[in-house]
Amino acid sequence: MNQNSTVDSRAVQTNIFTSFMGIVGIYAIAALFILLGAVLQMTGVINNFLTSRNFINIIDSVALLGIVASGMAFVTYSGHYADLSAPTTMAFSGIVAVEMLRFGFFPALLGAFAVGIIIGSINGFVIGKFKANPIIWTLAMSYVTMGVIRFIWVNRQIYPGIITDDVRAIMLFDNIYRFRLFGVISMPLILMIILVIIGQFLLTKTPFGIKLKITGSAKRTAKFTGINVSLVIGTAFLLSALAATVAGLAVTSLSRVGAWYIGEGYDFRAVTAIVIGGMTLAGGRGSIVGVMGGTLVIGIMNNIMTLLGIGTFSQDIIRGMIFIMVVGINAKTLRSMGRDDA
Amino acid sequence: MTMRRIEIDKNRLLSWGDRYRIYLLFAVIFLIMAIFAPRFLTIFNLTTILRTTALHGTIAIGFTIVMICGQLDLSIGRIATFSAVLAMLLQPQLGFWLSVPLAVAAGAGIGLINGLLVAKAKIHSFIVTIGTMTILQGLVFTISGGNTVSLASQEAFAASDFLSNPVIPLLPVRVVIFILLVLGFDFLLKKSRPGRNFYLTGGNRTTAWLAGIKTDRVLIGAFVISGTMAAAGGVLFAMETMAATLYLGENSLMYVVSATIIGGTIMSGGKGGVLKTAVAVLTLEMLYTGVVLFGLGNEVKIFISGLVLAVVVLYEAYAMYKHEKIIGQRPELIRELERKKEKG
Repeated sequence: MNQNSTVDSRAVQTNIFTSFMGIVGIYAIAALFILLGAVLQMTGVINNFLTSRNFINIIDSVALLGIVASGMAFVTYSGHYADLSAPTTMAFSGIVAVEMLRFGFFPALLGAFAVGIIIGSINGFVIGKFKANPIIWTLAMSYVTMGVIRFIWVNRQIYPGIITDDVRAIMLFDNIYRFRLFGVISMPLILMIILVIIGQFLLTKTPFGIKLKITGSAKRTAKFTGINVSLVIGTAFLLSALAATVAGLAVTSLSRVGAWYIGEGYDFRAVTAIVIGGMTLAGGRGSIVGVMGGTLVIGIMNNIMTLLGIGTFSQDIIRGMIFIMVVGINAKTLRSMGRDDA
Repeated sequence: MTMRRIEIDKNRLLSWGDRYRIYLLFAVIFLIMAIFAPRFLTIFNLTTILRTTALHGTIAIGFTIVMICGQLDLSIGRIATFSAVLAMLLQPQLGFWLSVPLAVAAGAGIGLINGLLVAKAKIHSFIVTIGTMTILQGLVFTISGGNTVSLASQEAFAASDFLSNPVIPLLPVRVVIFILLVLGFDFLLKKSRPGRNFYLTGGNRTTAWLAGIKTDRVLIGAFVISGTMAAAGGVLFAMETMAATLYLGENSLMYVVSATIIGGTIMSGGKGGVLKTAVAVLTLEMLYTGVVLFGLGNEVKIFISGLVLAVVVLYEAYAMYKHEKIIGQRPELIRELERKKEKG
């Protein structure tokens, strides 16, 4: 070895194994969980785990979460923790879509996306330009939106069947959730995969993705490099709101009702999926494909626990513990590899 | 020369207004409500306001301290619920004087776990507390069996009477406890060394560590206080009403976060105060009661709470934005240039 070369003590020796783990990461954990399920089935503790029907169920149950998470991941990636206004964005876009069904199916979609764009732009502008704290601002935004929804519709729920007589529009709207490609692949899964592909493409192959990565890892540096940081962060929030809109349309179509409470709980669940999927809250690390893996892990975990006959409330306890554990291990691994952590 | 003098006075006035913003807000809202809202200035109404304030305000004490340290504790609402349910379940066996400390200690224990995970395992507090929040949700439903836990024994009546009897008019024992806690913690934060360490750790953790402060211990301490206070608020509320619903602390998070921010504590840490937060909780509670007294619905209440929070956040962010624009520039020079521009 050349004696004169300087050695950075923090440099990490990567071998095939670590780089492999870097790519596969969360999917290894998913495989581990599937293996656990398989072992449990072999020993006869649970039945029906290794069936195609069950795997379809698992994916269907978390596809909506995957949609929300794949959008919110941009916010986390930009180093702005989370978009807590996602649930009310879902509710607002859903209820507007139902209300607009009276003009037909496509105006309804247009209305929903208009809502998403407006909320996303406001979030993006305030947080990107004025650097408001993302958690507090989106929380405030969600209360304001919730108040507006409940004020306009006076705490009512509205049904597509009451709004319009247009059978075709109602049928199309119902099919946002219920349509199945080849009778197997459900619409939310298709939407999730499309969003994940678009997201991954945006994140890795476009100038926007590179700018976002620099902004997420080192905001000041990004600013001095000449990146329009405000615009990049604003776009991240806009993408999050758009994904929430898609999820809102799907949930509303599933329940066939537009109401203020739709989407409740999706904020923290999405954060869980994102963080388990390997994104760190410090920003600039992780991928959308990883987030999808995190979503799948949550689905498989829930499924195994349900098959084991564990009650819903005990599931919460186990889920919380596993969440903290996975994130803790992830942070510890990153630190021991010499990379900074959240 | 005179021009400059006026300018300084204006700045001083502005900074004064900024520092005591929450007290001004309190006075304005109190006056508006007292003049316009029907039945606002009645003993019953004011006592009700104070009681709700005591629940959310006690929880907010701990949250403020955690936030001064630059961290976030989302589990407070659930800790309050959990401890309240625990206290109600234990009371038949252990009695009032043993069950209350035990339930509060449970809250402190959860706070300790939070603190250890944040400080020692170095996991982000946002994540840790989302995790404990989920765990506690499960625990609450498991130990209570999914039902509201209520008590109707002789002893429970006695405990409830003790907590709700006014010591002096308007102030039941529970509210007095709340006020004492607020004043105590305010004194602790401002005048004592451990209190100052919270501010220093929140302001800049590395600098604080280099200055010889054991920042890990400070963080753990903050989370323990947060857990303890959340538990105390929940337990005392449940004891007074003789029932612990499983959604007791559900709204607390919203209340407490709003109040802490409106009270002037900033999320990046190192700034804020317990007394200001308590006044902010009181202000919000008055606002909400006023909304109800005017005959408006729950939706207006949610809307207003969001709007108040949004305006405050926006105001602070905008002030910061303007401040950051000046950084690295010379304000006097800019002012002089502007003056010249005005002249010619």
